[in-house]
Amino acid sequence: MLQITNLTKRFGGVAATNDVTLTFAANTLTAIIGPNGAGKSTFFNLISGALKPDSGSIVFKGEDITRLDRAAIVQRGIGRAFQVASFFPSMTVAENLQAAIAAHRGQWADLTHRFPRQGVRERAMEVAEMLGLQDSADVLSANLSHGDQKLLDIALALALEPSLLLLDEPTAGMGPDERWKMIEKVQRLWRTQNLTLVFIEHDMDIVFGIASSIRVLCYGRVLAEGTPDEIRANPAVIEAYLGTPDAEDDV
Amino acid sequence: MDLDALLGCVTSSSCLVTQTTSGLIVGMLLFMVAAGLTLIFGVLKIVNFAHGTFYMLGAYIAYSAFMFTGSYVLGVLAGGLGMAIFGVIFERVLISRVYGANVLMQLLICYAVVLICDDLVKIVWGPDFYAMGMPPAFQVPPLFIAGGVVPPFYIMLIVVALAIGGALSLLLGLTRIGKIIRAAAHNPNMVSALGINTTLLYSLVFAVGGMLAGLAGGLAAPVRSLTPGMGFSILIESFIVTVIGGMGSIGGALIAAVVLGLIRSFGTIGFPLFTEGLMYIAMIIILVFKPSGLFGKEIV
Amino acid sequence: MGRIFRDIAIGILAIAVLAAVPHLIPGKAFQDFVIRCSSMALFATSLNLLVGYTGLSSFGHGLFFGLGTYSFALLMQRTGISLPMAFIATLLINAVTAVAVGAICIRLRLIYFAFVTLAMQMLMHSIIISWVGLTGGDQGLQGGIPRRVVAGIDLGNQYNLYIFAAVVLVIGLLIMRHIVNTSFGTSLRMIRDNEARASFLGIVVWRVKLTVFVLSAVFASVGGIVMSLFVSGAYPELINWPISGDAIFAIVMGGVGSFLGPTVGTMILLLLNDVVTRQTEYYGLALGIIILAFALGLRRGLLDFITERLGGRPAGGIS
Ligand SMILES: Nc1ncnc2c1ncn2[C@@H]1O[C@H](COP(=O)(O)OP(=O)(O)OP(=O)(O)O)[C@@H](O)[C@H]1O
Ligand SMILES: [Mg+2]
Repeated sequence: MLQITNLTKRFGGVAATNDVTLTFAANTLTAIIGPNGAGKSTFFNLISGALKPDSGSIVFKGEDITRLDRAAIVQRGIGRAFQVASFFPSMTVAENLQAAIAAHRGQWADLTHRFPRQGVRERAMEVAEMLGLQDSADVLSANLSHGDQKLLDIALALALEPSLLLLDEPTAGMGPDERWKMIEKVQRLWRTQNLTLVFIEHDMDIVFGIASSIRVLCYGRVLAEGTPDEIRANPAVIEAYLGTPDAEDDV
Repeated sequence: MDLDALLGCVTSSSCLVTQTTSGLIVGMLLFMVAAGLTLIFGVLKIVNFAHGTFYMLGAYIAYSAFMFTGSYVLGVLAGGLGMAIFGVIFERVLISRVYGANVLMQLLICYAVVLICDDLVKIVWGPDFYAMGMPPAFQVPPLFIAGGVVPPFYIMLIVVALAIGGALSLLLGLTRIGKIIRAAAHNPNMVSALGINTTLLYSLVFAVGGMLAGLAGGLAAPVRSLTPGMGFSILIESFIVTVIGGMGSIGGALIAAVVLGLIRSFGTIGFPLFTEGLMYIAMIIILVFKPSGLFGKEIV
Repeated sequence: MGRIFRDIAIGILAIAVLAAVPHLIPGKAFQDFVIRCSSMALFATSLNLLVGYTGLSSFGHGLFFGLGTYSFALLMQRTGISLPMAFIATLLINAVTAVAVGAICIRLRLIYFAFVTLAMQMLMHSIIISWVGLTGGDQGLQGGIPRRVVAGIDLGNQYNLYIFAAVVLVIGLLIMRHIVNTSFGTSLRMIRDNEARASFLGIVVWRVKLTVFVLSAVFASVGGIVMSLFVSGAYPELINWPISGDAIFAIVMGGVGSFLGPTVGTMILLLLNDVVTRQTEYYGLALGIIILAFALGLRRGLLDFITERLGGRPAGGIS
C-alpha cells in the first residue's frame, strides 16, 4: 500500500527523518511510537506533502507521490489529522464537514451553485455519526470540547473517504478514560471503513492494546518494527525507549 | 525621464557629492523613523501607522522649543523626549487595547490618531508652512568636497544619526534590557514565561520608538518645511524601508534607508516624476525574491 | 434556491424605493450621496471579499478602483466604443491586471501582503502621475465622458445616473452575495480560518486566492466606473492611498463579518464626511474621535455588533 524508501529530511543540521525505509500493508492498523522529537510528525508531514523530503521516495498504491503537492496527494486517498486539532473555527461542526465534503467532491472552485450542494448535507451527517458528533452538528466548532475537536479533525479527514488515514496523536491532551473512548472509536473506524490506518501514540497501553504492528522511530531513524510482541522483546527498544520512563506517559 | 541628466550627474564629481550627501541625510532621517517602526513591530507585532505623526510632532516641538530657548540642541532633545512620553501614552491608552486584534483594527486606531494630531497641529501651530531655518551655529559657509556643496549641518545630521543608531545597537546588544527586547522579538511567550513585566517592556519599546522619531523630527526641522501632514510621506517611506530591510531588523533598516535615500536623490535627477515609483518598484522586486525582506525572518 | 429569489426581491424593492425617493425629496444632494455611496459600497464590498471572507488584508485595493476610473474614462475619451463596451473592456483590463498583480502578491503573507498591495497601488499612482500625455498627470483626466446616451437613456442626466448607480450597486451586491454563498465562497472561509487544513482537504489554495483577488478587482473597477461617470473623468486622488484607506475604514466600521457591513460602513463614512465638513473645519479631529469611539467602544463593525447583540453569528469575521 505505502512504501517509503530511504526518506530523509533535514532542518538545518538536524535530520528529523533520517534514511527511513518502511512499508505499510493494506488494511493494517499500525502505531508509530518514539520519544518527543523523534521525527514522527515530520514523517507524516512528508507523506502528506506538507514538507518535501531532501531525498528518498514515497510510493503509494504503486505510484510515486514524492513530488506531488498536497491537493494531489489528498486526491490519491491519503487523509490526515493533526497533533493539535485543526479545523475551521468560525464554522459549526456540520459546516466544517460539509466544507470538507464539498472540497472532496471537487466543488471547491464552484462559483455557480449554492453551498452546500445536493447530498452534501446528508453525507456530512453520516460522517458525523461515524465519530459520534451528530449531536454537536450545530455547535460552533471553536466552542467544542478538546476531545470533540480532535474527533472533528479526524472527521474532516474521513470526509475525504481516504484509503490511508494518518492520525497524529489522536489522544493528545486527553485524560485516561477519554483516551480509551477515543481509541475505541479509531479502532472501530478502522474495522468498518476499510482503511489502512497509521497513528502516532505515546500511551504504551493503547499502543500494545490495539495496534497490529508497531514502528519505532528514534532520532529520525527506524529503531525497530514488528508486532507488539516483537517490539516488547526488542532489546534496542527496551533500552532506548521503554527502559527510560517517558515523561509524556505521566502527562 | 532624463537619463542624460542622470549620467551627467554621476560623471561629475560635484553633482555626485551633492546628491550623495542629500541622499544620505534623507536616508538617515528615514533610518531613525524606520528603526523605531521596526523595533515596535519586532517586539509587539504591531504596525504603528501613527509613526509618521511622531516624527511630525517631534519636529514641531523642536521648533517651538528652539524658538523658546534659542538652543537647537535643547530643541531636538525636547522633540525626542516629548515623543518618548507621547509614545508611552499612545501605547498605554490606545494600542494596548488592540494587542492581538486584527491589523486593520490597529490601522484604524492609528489612522484616527493621525487625523486628530494633524488637526491639533493646525490648531496649535496654524495650518501654514513653517521654516525653522538653520540654527545659528550652522549658519556658516558650506564645505566644498570634490567640488560638491556640503552644508556642515548635513554632516552633523549624518554623524548624529549614525551615533544614535550605534547607541541603539549597543543598547540592544550589550545591556540586559536590550537582551530582553531581542528575546521578546524572537519569542514573546518566552519573555512572559520568564516573569518579565511585559507591560513595562512594551511601554519602553514605544518610548524608544517615539524618541527616535521625535529626534528625527527635530533633526529634520532645519532642512524640511514643517506642515501638518508632513508625517505621511515619511511614514510610507519608512514602511518601504522596514519591509525591504525585513520587519524587525534594525541593520536591515539602515541599509534599506540609505538605499532609498540615494534612490530618491538620484531619482529626482533621472526620473523627476517617477522617483516614488522607483521606490515602489524596489520594494516589489525585493519582496518577490525575498518575501520577508532582506534581513527578515522567514514567516512559515 | 429560495434564498436567491428573496435576495433578488429585496434588491428590486430597494431600487424601486430609491427610484421614488427623489420625487419626495427634491434637490441633488441625496442623489449625489447615493451615487457616491454606490461607487464606494461596491468598492468596499469587493475589498471585503478579500479581507472579511478570505482573510487577505489588502491595503492597496484602491489600485483597481482607480484603474477602473482611468481605463473607463480613457476608453470613452480616446476610442469610439460605446459605453457598454467600455464598461466590459474596463472589467477585462482590471481582470488581466489583477492576474498579474495577484500572482505576485498572494505568495506573501499577512503584513507583507498588505504592504506589497499598497506598493502596487502607489506604483500605479506614480505611473499615472508621470505619464502626463496619456493621463493628464496630476491634473487628472479632464474633458468629460462623451457618448453617455445608452439605449435612449442619457446618463449625463443626474437622475438617470442616480438610477443607473443604484441598479449597478444592487446587481453587483447580488452577484457578490451569490459568490460568497457558493462552494467557492466556503473555500474562502476555509482559507481564512485555517489555510493549512484547507490545503490538506484538497483545496488548491493559491488558485482560490488568485480567483478571489481577480473577482474583487473586477467589482472594485465597477465602483470606479460609477465614480468616473459621476466626476466626468478620472483623477489621481481616485487611485491614491486614501481611497484604499476609505474602503478599509468602511469595512471595519460597518463590519467585516456581515455581507452588508461594508455598505453600511460606506454610508457612515460618507455621512460623517458630509455632516462633519459642514460643521467644522477640523474634519480630521472630529472623524478621529468618532473612529476611536467606534473602534474602542464596539471593538467590531456596526453590523457585526448588531448581529451579535441579536444573538446571531456574523457570517465572516476575522479570527
Ligand atoms: N518546521 C520545522 N523547522 C525546523 N525544525 C523542525 C520543524 N519541524 C520539526 N522540526 C524538528 O524536527 C525534529 C522532529 O520533530 P517532530 O515534530 O517530527 O517530532 P515528533 O516525533 O512528532 O515529536 P512529538 O512527540 O513531540 O510530537 C525536532 O527536533 C523538531 O525540532
Ligand atoms: Mg509530533
